[in-house]
Amino acid sequence: MSAAATEVLEPVKAGNPSERWTPSVQGWVARLVVFALIFGGVLWATAVVPSYWADRISLAAIYAIIGLSLNIVLGYVGQVSLGHHGFVGIAAFVAAYYATQKAGCTVDSCSMNTFLTATAVAALSGAVAAMLLGLVALRIKGLYLALITLAYGFVAERSIFEIPFLTNGGAGMPATRPNGWATDREFAFLCFIFLAGVIFVDWRLLKSKVGRAILSIKHSEAVAATYGINVTAYKVLAFSLSGLFAGIAGSLFAFHETNVVSNNFNFANALLWVLMVVVGGLGNRIGVVVGSAFFALFPFLLILIGPLDHFVRNTLHREPDYFTIVIGSGLAILTLIQYPGGIGEQLSPVTRWLGGKPFSMHPEGHAKHKKPAKSKSGGMLAKVGLRHKDATTEDLDALGRAVESKEDGDDG
Amino acid sequence: MRTGIVVGATCLLLGLILVLGAGDDAGPNAAVVIGVMTGAIYGLVAVGLVLVYKGSRVFNFAQGEFGTIAAFIVFILLEQVTAINIPYWVAVPIGLLGAVLMGLLMERVVVRPLMNSPRITLLVATISFALFTVGMEIILFLPEAKVLRPMIAATDAQGNPNGPEIFHYFVEPQNLIALGVLIVLAIVLGYFFSKTDLGLAVLATSQDAFATRVVGIGVERMSRFIWGTAAFLGGVAGIIYIPISGTLTPGAMTTGILIPAFAAAVLGGMTSLPGAFLGGIVIGCVQSLSNWAGFNYSLTVGGIVKPLSSIIPGLPDVAIILVLLLILLARPQGLLGSEA
Repeated sequence: MSAAATEVLEPVKAGNPSERWTPSVQGWVARLVVFALIFGGVLWATAVVPSYWADRISLAAIYAIIGLSLNIVLGYVGQVSLGHHGFVGIAAFVAAYYATQKAGCTVDSCSMNTFLTATAVAALSGAVAAMLLGLVALRIKGLYLALITLAYGFVAERSIFEIPFLTNGGAGMPATRPNGWATDREFAFLCFIFLAGVIFVDWRLLKSKVGRAILSIKHSEAVAATYGINVTAYKVLAFSLSGLFAGIAGSLFAFHETNVVSNNFNFANALLWVLMVVVGGLGNRIGVVVGSAFFALFPFLLILIGPLDHFVRNTLHREPDYFTIVIGSGLAILTLIQYPGGIGEQLSPVTRWLGGKPFSMHPEGHAKHKKPAKSKSGGMLAKVGLRHKDATTEDLDALGRAVESKEDGDDG
Repeated sequence: MRTGIVVGATCLLLGLILVLGAGDDAGPNAAVVIGVMTGAIYGLVAVGLVLVYKGSRVFNFAQGEFGTIAAFIVFILLEQVTAINIPYWVAVPIGLLGAVLMGLLMERVVVRPLMNSPRITLLVATISFALFTVGMEIILFLPEAKVLRPMIAATDAQGNPNGPEIFHYFVEPQNLIALGVLIVLAIVLGYFFSKTDLGLAVLATSQDAFATRVVGIGVERMSRFIWGTAAFLGGVAGIIYIPISGTLTPGAMTTGILIPAFAAAVLGGMTSLPGAFLGGIVIGCVQSLSNWAGFNYSLTVGGIVKPLSSIIPGLPDVAIILVLLLILLARPQGLLGSEA
């Protein structure tokens, strides 16, 4: 028994840089070319497609930002938010209100500075709104928190979106697109810039100590707290960040619509957003972006397949739009039951390859002799910057499980 | 014992409001009557939610859609099948059968494969299934609103109301049916879960599935039974509520009823069937009384007298959510909650 405490344990391998596989020069060139093709392809498509397609593409970018926002709560913190239409809607109305009522944008003209300030204000309002929810989330978890978020969205929908000075009494609050970015195509590029910014922040943050701390909370709050992680602060921070992204998306949505009405933000939307993140792959950034874009573009993708579109319109006499919900939720069920990793998991060989690893269907395929990582909390905590001299990762995991089962028992 | 006290106290409170408001036309009496009537519907949906929670420990977001599906089937049979004239009493069982089939399908496709996964995953799965149903309704029945006629028309051919007048409020016959069904279900379900072997087996499954299996009770069978029954209750609620609400649209029960029903179930304790009934009635009364208060009380804002309802838009809904929040923060086990 006592021997276990003094036993010298093998240090956890942090991955020796010299052993790491790196692609050759040709490999890097190939990766760069493919990356440029994908990236350029999207931009080129946006530049040449008809205007109403560009309009839809900017919506896809906005959905992607919403997806990334939800991904923080769903994928990183491990809670469900069914009230995201509340954050997005509040931010959209705040942005429109600021631009039209405070900064004096007219239907014809709105300066870029006003747009940026409006977006900043909207992002802040989204963050504050989400922070309130984060404070509630400290006391309530799991299913009941889902219910609280639902209630939050419900209040926003029924009460906040009906405030006359904010919504112009149901007629909607106008939000004119900034000068120089007013056409559908230009606005789509503006959305891309914001999407790129959000992806960058999300990526860098998750790689930092903050991100690792948030991830460790998902696995086990108690174990995280044992390692000195301030669970309260990081949880509230994660919610606020989610609200910040939702706020940016809300502002973009306001200017995308150019007239914000409360009908744009309803309960069904919030549910669909949750599903698009699930389909994209929880916690998988690229998957979420692709999944969200798929949900936004779906009716248009149907149009691309001519015969199918013809069949839907002329034989079934239905709009392609009607099928978004069925296909989306059907995919979500399939994802949950059969492919928990979502689109992100299916794309991972490609994304890993692009990231400078060999093309392989398995995460660590190039090092088959390595044991598959059994532990999550141990590895996670090691990444947070804490050394575990006194415990193996398995011990930690067992501890995490024990604490969790204890927690579950208390909840029951 | 506690059930009796809480039910008694609630009845006393509502009775007190009725007595105090008697003789005053603008008093809260009519609001209480309306509250009890809408509350009965919330209670019906909440009972289904509680049943599923007892059995599978998950909030069932598709509970409302069981009702919408049943209502759509009844509507199709009544209004769109023109070859034969199908009477209401034939259409309703078929509609309920449709709801039960949907419940069983959901159990098989979504719940069974995810029985041992985290509850959040199952929650998202029920959301997916609910949205899938809404989507199918949109495709099959188109998004345009339809009208399902009530079982007994609200007014007769001369335009006179068919229902009784209680405190200056003409109660529709459909509302009385809802209340009657709720009371009958309360008694039947209460008896079922406390006295019959099957009912006790269901409760045992929810408490400890493994131990239940050891004593020879089929957990899968219990799960099927629970989801079928919950779908049946949802179907009943839908067929009764849709004619009252007036419009039948895809997702009608989810957008309109589900959230108050959740509030009712949580208020009742999420595990208590009498609690769900009571919670439904209380939530209905909170909603209608706050609606009444919104029009009858006013505040002076900036020198202008404004009714509460224009100061706080959506006051009845905000009131429901406040009750829900207070319960969750202060007494998460609800009024009548307990294990199983």
